[in-house]
Amino acid sequence: MTDHAAPAKLKPADDPTFQLPTSLSNLAFPLAIGGALLLVVGVVVGMAAGPSARFTMSAYLAAFTYCLSISLGCLFFVMIQHLCRAGWSVVVRRVAEIMMIALPALGIMFLPILASVWLGEGTLYKWDDPNFAAEKGVPVEVWTEKARYLNGPWFTVRSLIYIAAWSGLAIYYFRLSRRQDETGEITLSERMQARSGPAIMLFSLCTSFAAFDWLMSLAPTWFSTMFGVYIFAGSILAAHCAIAVFIYLLQSGGSLRDEVTVEHYHDLGKLINGFTLFWAYISFCQYMLIWYANIPEETEWIYARQVGMWGTVGLALIFLHWMLPFLGMMSRHVRRNPNLVFGWACYLLVMHFFDIYWIVMPEAESAAGGAMGVLTTVLLTFGMVGLYLGGVLWFTQANNIKVIAVRDPRLPESLAFENI
Amino acid sequence: MSHSPKPSSSIQAKQEPKLFGTYAEFDNVGQLLAGCRRVRDAGYLKTDAYTPFPVHGIDKALGIKPTILPWICLACGLTGLTIALTMQIWMNAIDYPYIISGKPFISLPAFIPVSFELTVLLSAFGAFFGMLALNKLPMFSNAVFTDPRFDRATDDRFFLFISADDAKYKNDSVMKLLGDMGSGHVSDIYEDTSSDVIPKPFFVAVGLLALLATVPLLALARMRVTNSGSPRFHVFYDMDFSPSKDAQKVTTLFADGRTMRPDVPGTIAIGQYDEVLDFYTGIDMEQLSRLDAPRATRLVRAFRDEPAATEGETLAEDVAETAKEVATSQTEATKAAEKGTSGEKAASDKSDSDLTPEKAEPVADTPKPEAKKIEQPAEPSAPAVMPEPSPVPTKVEAAAPVGAVNAVAPAAPVAVDKTPWLKENPLPMTSETLQAGQKYFEIYCAVCHGNDGGGNGLVNRRAQRILATAWVQPSSMHQDTLYTDQYADGKLFSTISNGIRKMPGYSAQITAKNRWAIVAYVRALQASQNAQMEDVPGDKQNELKKLQAEVAKRLAEQAEAEKKKAEAAAIKS
Repeated sequence: MTDHAAPAKLKPADDPTFQLPTSLSNLAFPLAIGGALLLVVGVVVGMAAGPSARFTMSAYLAAFTYCLSISLGCLFFVMIQHLCRAGWSVVVRRVAEIMMIALPALGIMFLPILASVWLGEGTLYKWDDPNFAAEKGVPVEVWTEKARYLNGPWFTVRSLIYIAAWSGLAIYYFRLSRRQDETGEITLSERMQARSGPAIMLFSLCTSFAAFDWLMSLAPTWFSTMFGVYIFAGSILAAHCAIAVFIYLLQSGGSLRDEVTVEHYHDLGKLINGFTLFWAYISFCQYMLIWYANIPEETEWIYARQVGMWGTVGLALIFLHWMLPFLGMMSRHVRRNPNLVFGWACYLLVMHFFDIYWIVMPEAESAAGGAMGVLTTVLLTFGMVGLYLGGVLWFTQANNIKVIAVRDPRLPESLAFENI
Repeated sequence: MSHSPKPSSSIQAKQEPKLFGTYAEFDNVGQLLAGCRRVRDAGYLKTDAYTPFPVHGIDKALGIKPTILPWICLACGLTGLTIALTMQIWMNAIDYPYIISGKPFISLPAFIPVSFELTVLLSAFGAFFGMLALNKLPMFSNAVFTDPRFDRATDDRFFLFISADDAKYKNDSVMKLLGDMGSGHVSDIYEDTSSDVIPKPFFVAVGLLALLATVPLLALARMRVTNSGSPRFHVFYDMDFSPSKDAQKVTTLFADGRTMRPDVPGTIAIGQYDEVLDFYTGIDMEQLSRLDAPRATRLVRAFRDEPAATEGETLAEDVAETAKEVATSQTEATKAAEKGTSGEKAASDKSDSDLTPEKAEPVADTPKPEAKKIEQPAEPSAPAVMPEPSPVPTKVEAAAPVGAVNAVAPAAPVAVDKTPWLKENPLPMTSETLQAGQKYFEIYCAVCHGNDGGGNGLVNRRAQRILATAWVQPSSMHQDTLYTDQYADGKLFSTISNGIRKMPGYSAQITAKNRWAIVAYVRALQASQNAQMEDVPGDKQNELKKLQAEVAKRLAEQAEAEKKKAEAAAIKS
C-alpha cells in the first residue's frame, strides 16, 4: 500500500527492468520469420488450393485488419491520454506507443490489397469488377454515382492518405515521447497535449473512412454511417486488451514489476469492461436501426450475416464478445486480479478476431471455405499476427526502446496512482 | 439520532452536556493516515476522518469495510431490466397486442433500448440514493460543527474523530492515544445543545407554497368542467392542422384531383389474392362457364387483369346481367312491383315508384339498352351485355333495375335468376366466423338494417322522422324471400359486395372473407327468428323451459287477475 504523501520510488532511467525482457526479445526473430513464412505459405495454399482468390484475399484482409485495428486503437489510446492529461496511464503508455509505431509497417502490408485492386478485376472488392453492376442488377444511374467514389485510382489515393495520416501521427507522438526519455522536457508533454485535439479529429475521420473503404465497400451497395464507429469500437477494445496482455508478459519477463501495480490493471480492466459494452452498444445501434426500418437496400449486409453459419457466428458474438466478458469482468475483484485481467484480455483478443472475420468473410461468398479455407485462414492469421508481434518486438529491441516513459513529468503521479 | 431529550427546565440546562466524542487535529495527511492506522489497530470501530480533499487509502487505514453500494446498484439495475421487459411484454403482447412496424408482439430487439435505459436509470438511482442512504445523508447537523476549530477541515487541517458511542470508548485512554500521535490539538466534543425546534416561519412558508401549488391544479380542474368559446390552446400541434382530406373530396396534391387513391392497376392487396374466383363473386364459376360462358369469361378477365377496374366493370356487367334476367319476367313482374310488396311499400310512395324499371331508366345509363334488348329475346345475350361504359360507377351502384330485381323478386323469385350462386358459405362455420360476421354486420349493416336485421336501423328511423323522400327502406332479413332456399348464400354475398337499390356495394370496405362472415351471421340472425326447442343446446333447454313455464305462469296469473277485475267491475256496474 502506498501512502498518498509518500514520494514515489523512482528508479534511474537506465534501470534494466525498463528494457524489453530477454524472454520477449528472444521471441522477436522466431516470431517475425515464422510469421512471414506462414504468411507466404498461406497465400500460396490459398491461391493454389483455397476456395477462391477472393477468399484468400478476404482472409488476408481480415488478418491485416485485425493487426491494424490493434495499432489504431493504441494510437487513439496514446492521443486520448494526452488530450485529457491522464496521470494514471503513464506507466502503460509506452507499451501502447510501441504497438502504435507499427502503423507505417502495416501500411506496407496493405500493398497486396492495393495490388488486388489494380491487378485483378474484382478479386477482393466487387466494385472493382466492371460487370458487377450488370450482374447484380444495379441501375446504371445509381452505379455511375457509386463509381465516382468507388474506383481504383481514387481508392488508392484515399488509402494512401489514411496510411500517411496514421503513420505521421504515430511517428510524431513516438518521436516526441522518446525524446522526452532523454531530455525530460515538460514542454514536450504540453506540445503533445496541444496537438492531440486536432490529431484525434484527423484520426477519427481517417479511421471512419478507412472502415468504409476497406471493409464496408466489400458489399458495394450497402451503407451504414455507424460502420466506422463500429470498427473503432472493436479497435479501442482490442487495444486495451493488447496493452494489458503486453504489460502482463513484460512483468512475467521481469520488467516493470514495481511500476505497474494492481491499480493500473484495475483501470485497464475497467476500460476493457466498459469498451465491451461500448462495442455491443454500437453494434446493436447499427443493427437495430436497420432491422427496424427493414429497407431492402440496408438489410442485405445484416441478412447475409444472420442466416446459416454466419448467423450462428453473429449470435455467438453477442454472448461471447459481449455478455460473457461483460458479466465476467463486472466485479471489482476480477479487475483487481492481474491474472484474470490478462485472461479476459487474451480471450477478448480472440473474440475480436472473430468479429473482424464475421465482418469480412461473408462477402467472400464461400462460407468457411471447407478444410482448405480454414487452413488458409489459420495460416494467414497466424502469419500476420506472428509477423506483427515479431516486428514490434524486434523494433523495440533493435532501437533499445524503454518499455516505460522514464522521464515523463507525470510518471511519479502514475507510480503513486491508487483507485479509491 | 440519539439526542438526549431537550432540557425542559433550567436545572437540566445547567447540567454538563453529553459527550459526543474526541478528535485530534493534524497538519498533514501522513500524520492523519498513521493516526488512522493506530486507531484502527487499537480496535475502535466508530471512527471518522475529515479532510479537505479525498485521501486515497484512508478507507483501509481506518478499517472501513468495502461498501455494498455495487450490490445495491446491481440489484437496482436488474430490477430496471425486469420492469422494462415485463412492462413492454405486458403492454405490447398481452394487454394491448399491437403490431408495430410489422414486428412480432414480443420483439426483443425493439425492447432493448427501453430495457437498456431503464437498467441504467435505476442503476444510477440505486447508486445515487444508495450512496446518500449509506452515508446517512442529508444530515443537517453534526455536533463536530460546534467546535470552531473544525471549520478548517474544509481548508488545511485533517481531523481524526472517535465517537463516544464506540464500545471501547473511554475518555482518558482516547485522549492519551490521540495525544500520542503528534497532534497539535486534541479535544472533546459535546452534543449540540442548541434548540432543534424548527422555526415557525418555515411552516408558514411551506404552507403558503403548498397553497400556491394548488392554484394550477385548481385552474386545470376548472377548465375540465367548464366550456369555453375560445379556440383550443395547442401546446403540441401534433397533426391538428395537417392538410388531411375527407373521403370523396377534391385535392390538388394528385394530378387526378382525387383524395382517395385507387388501387394500382395490376396489383392485389396483401391477403386478397385467391385462385378460386368463386370466393370473390359468390358464383359457382365452373357451372357458370357451362351455362353462360361469355359472362364467366368476362368475370374472370375482370378479376384477373384489372383489379382496379374490376369492381366497377363487374358491377356494370352484373347489373346488366341481372337486369336482363329480371326483364325476362318483366311483364308479370312489373305489375307486381308496381303494387309493391309489404315492406317496400311502407318506405314511401315516391321511392316505391323509383323501384319500377321504367322510371328508373333515366337514372342509370347502363341498363337502359339492356332492358330494351330483353324485349327481343331472340338476340344473343353476349353483345347485349358488352359494357356500355358507365361513366361513374357510383351511378351504376344505385342503378334502379337492380332494385327492380328485388322489388320483383318476391313475385317471381327463382324463375328469374339463373345464376349458379354458391349454395354454401365457403368459410368454416366456427364461432370466430360468426363473431367476425357480427362485428362487421354491426359496423356496416346495422345502421340501416338494425342490429336484429329487421330493417329498422337508426338511419332508417331518422329517414322516416324527417320524411326523407328519396329513402328506400332497407330490407328486413326476416322474410321468406331472403331465406337460404330462395336467396342463396352466394347471392347474398354478391348483394353485399355490389349493392342493391340505394345500398352501395361494400367490396371496397369489407374484405371478401368478412363479407362471407356477414352472410353467415345473417343466416344466424334468420335462424334466431325461427328457432325450435331442438335448436337449443341440451344443457340450456331446461333453463329455457323453466323460463317458459314461468312466463306462462305469470301470464296466467295476469289473465286471472284481469278476469277478476273485470268480474268485479261487472258486478259493480
